[in-house]
Amino acid sequence: MLEYLFFLSSGLFLGWSLGANDASNIFGTAVGTKMLRFTTAAIIASIFLVLGAVLSGQNTAETLNALGEVNTLPAAFTVSLSSALAVLMMLKSGISVSISQAIVGGIIGWNVYNHKPTDTETLMNICATWIFCPIISGVIAVGIYMCVKKLLHYSKIHILWQDMAVRVGMILTTALGGFALGANNMANVVGVFIDSNVLSPLKLGNFYTLNSTQVLFFLGAVAACIGVFTYSQKAIKTVGKNVLSFSPTVAWIVILSQSLVLILFSSENLENFLISMNLPPLPAVPVSSTQAVIGAIVGIGLVKGGKGIKWSLILRVVSGWVATPVIAFILSFISLFFMENVFKQTIFIP
Amino acid sequence: MFNVKISLFARTRDLEHNIDSLHDKIIEMTMVFKEAVDIYLQEKRSEKYRQTSKKIKIIEHDSDTLRREIESKLYEQNLIPDLRGNILELVENLDRVINLFDEVAHKFYIERPEIPEEYHNKLKELVNQVTDCAENMAIASRAFFRDLVTLRDYSKKVYLLEHQSDKTAAKLRNEVFDSDLDLAHKMQINNFIEEVADIADLAEDCIDSLLIFAIKREI
Repeated sequence: MLEYLFFLSSGLFLGWSLGANDASNIFGTAVGTKMLRFTTAAIIASIFLVLGAVLSGQNTAETLNALGEVNTLPAAFTVSLSSALAVLMMLKSGISVSISQAIVGGIIGWNVYNHKPTDTETLMNICATWIFCPIISGVIAVGIYMCVKKLLHYSKIHILWQDMAVRVGMILTTALGGFALGANNMANVVGVFIDSNVLSPLKLGNFYTLNSTQVLFFLGAVAACIGVFTYSQKAIKTVGKNVLSFSPTVAWIVILSQSLVLILFSSENLENFLISMNLPPLPAVPVSSTQAVIGAIVGIGLVKGGKGIKWSLILRVVSGWVATPVIAFILSFISLFFMENVFKQTIFIP
Repeated sequence: MFNVKISLFARTRDLEHNIDSLHDKIIEMTMVFKEAVDIYLQEKRSEKYRQTSKKIKIIEHDSDTLRREIESKLYEQNLIPDLRGNILELVENLDRVINLFDEVAHKFYIERPEIPEEYHNKLKELVNQVTDCAENMAIASRAFFRDLVTLRDYSKKVYLLEHQSDKTAAKLRNEVFDSDLDLAHKMQINNFIEEVADIADLAEDCIDSLLIFAIKREI
C-alpha cells in the first residue's frame, strides 16, 4: 500500500499540474475581468472538480488505456512524472498547455520504449479531437455570442442587470467547468494507475460507497484542487488577460463554450445517442480545456473582425501544444530507461 | 444567502433608480433654465426670477447628492468592473453640465445684465438650442445604459444642435458688437452669450466620450 502511494505521488503531482494549469481555463477569464474573486471561483471550481472526477471521471480513462495499458506501477509513476514535468516546464515559461497531450506523449514514450505498437486508430482518434475540440468550441462560442448579442439588442436590459446576469452565469459556468474538467481530464492524471490500483473502497456514511477507482480519482481531484489554489494565478494571467481584451460577457461565453465541449467529449450517453442516430460520435476522449478556450476566443475574435486577437500569443500557445507531447515523450523514454536499468524496476509485463 | 441575494437585487435597483434620477434632473434643469431666462428677459431680477433661480439651485444640489451616491455605490458594491471608470466619468460630465446651467442662472442674478429688447429673440433662440442640446444629451446618456442604437440617434441630434447654437451665438455676438452700446456693455452681453453657448459645447464633449464608452460596452 505504501509503495503504491509512493508511486502514485507522480500522478498526484500531475493532478497538481492539472489544477495549476487548467483552472485558468475554467475561471481565468472571470477572474481576469474582475467579475469573480479568485478565492470564490477557486472554491466553486474545486468542489465541482472533485464531483466530476469521482462521479464521471472514468469514462475517458478507457480511451487512454486503449492507447497504451501502462501495466506496472513504476512505469505508471514514470509516465506520469514525465508528463507532469513537461507541463511544469511549459507552465514555468508562462504558456498554458494541455495535460492530455502531455500524458499521450508520455504513454507513447512507454510504448516505444517497450517496442509495443501504439494503437494508431486510438491515437488518430485522440489527435483528431485535438483538432476538432478547438473548432467545435469556436463554433459553439460563436453561436452563443450571436444569440447573446441579439438578445441584448432586443431586450434593452439595463447595464447593471446585465452585469448581475453575467456574474450569476459565471458562477454557474465555473461550477459546470469544474465538473467538466474533473469528468474529462482526471483520467489523464490517474488513468495510468487504474490497472495497478490497490486502494480500498471508501464508505461515505450510510449513503454512498466510493469504489476503489473512484477513491483513486478522488485523490487525483484533491491534488488538482491544491494546484488550483497554489499555482493557477500565473496561468490565469496568460489566458484571462492577454489573448484578447474582452468584455465580461464574452469572458462568460468563452468559459461556457469550453465547459460544454468538455462535457460533449466526456459523455458516453451522448456518444451512444449519436451512434443510435447514425451520426458521427464524439468519443469520450480527454481533450484539452486550453485548446477549447483558445478555440472559443479565436472564434469570437474572428466574428468581431479579428482585430483584437493577439496572434503572436496564440502562436506561442499553439507551439506549446506541439512541444508538450514531444517533451513528455522524450522525458518518458529517458526516465523509463533509468527506471529499468538504474533503479531495477519492472516497467512492462508482456 | 437568500437575504444576501435579495439585498443585492435591491441595491442594484436602487443604483439603477439613482442613475435614472440624475438624467431626470438634467431634463428638469433644461426646462427650468429656459423658464428662468424668459422671466429674466421680461422682469429682470424679480421675485419670480429669484424663486426660479432657487429651483435651479435645488436641482443642482440634488444632482450633486445623486452623483456622490452613484459613485460610492459603484465602488462599494464592486459593480461593472470593466466600465466603472467610464461610468464615473460620465456621471461627472453630466454633473458638470448641470453645474454650468446653475452658474449661468446665478450670474444673471448677480450681474443683472441689461439686454436690449432687439436681442431677446435671438437669445431665446440660443437658449432653446442649448437646452435642447443638453436634453438630447441626457436622453443619449440614459440610452447608453440600455440601448446603444438610441444612443447613436440622439448623439447625432446633439452634434446638430451644438452646431446650430454656435451659429446663433456668433450671429448674436456680431449684432451686439455692431451696435452703438458702449464697450463694457457689449463685453458683458458677449460674456453671457459665451457662457450659454458653452453649455452646448460641454454637452457635445459629453457625447464624444460617451460614444467611446459605447464602443467598449459592445460585447
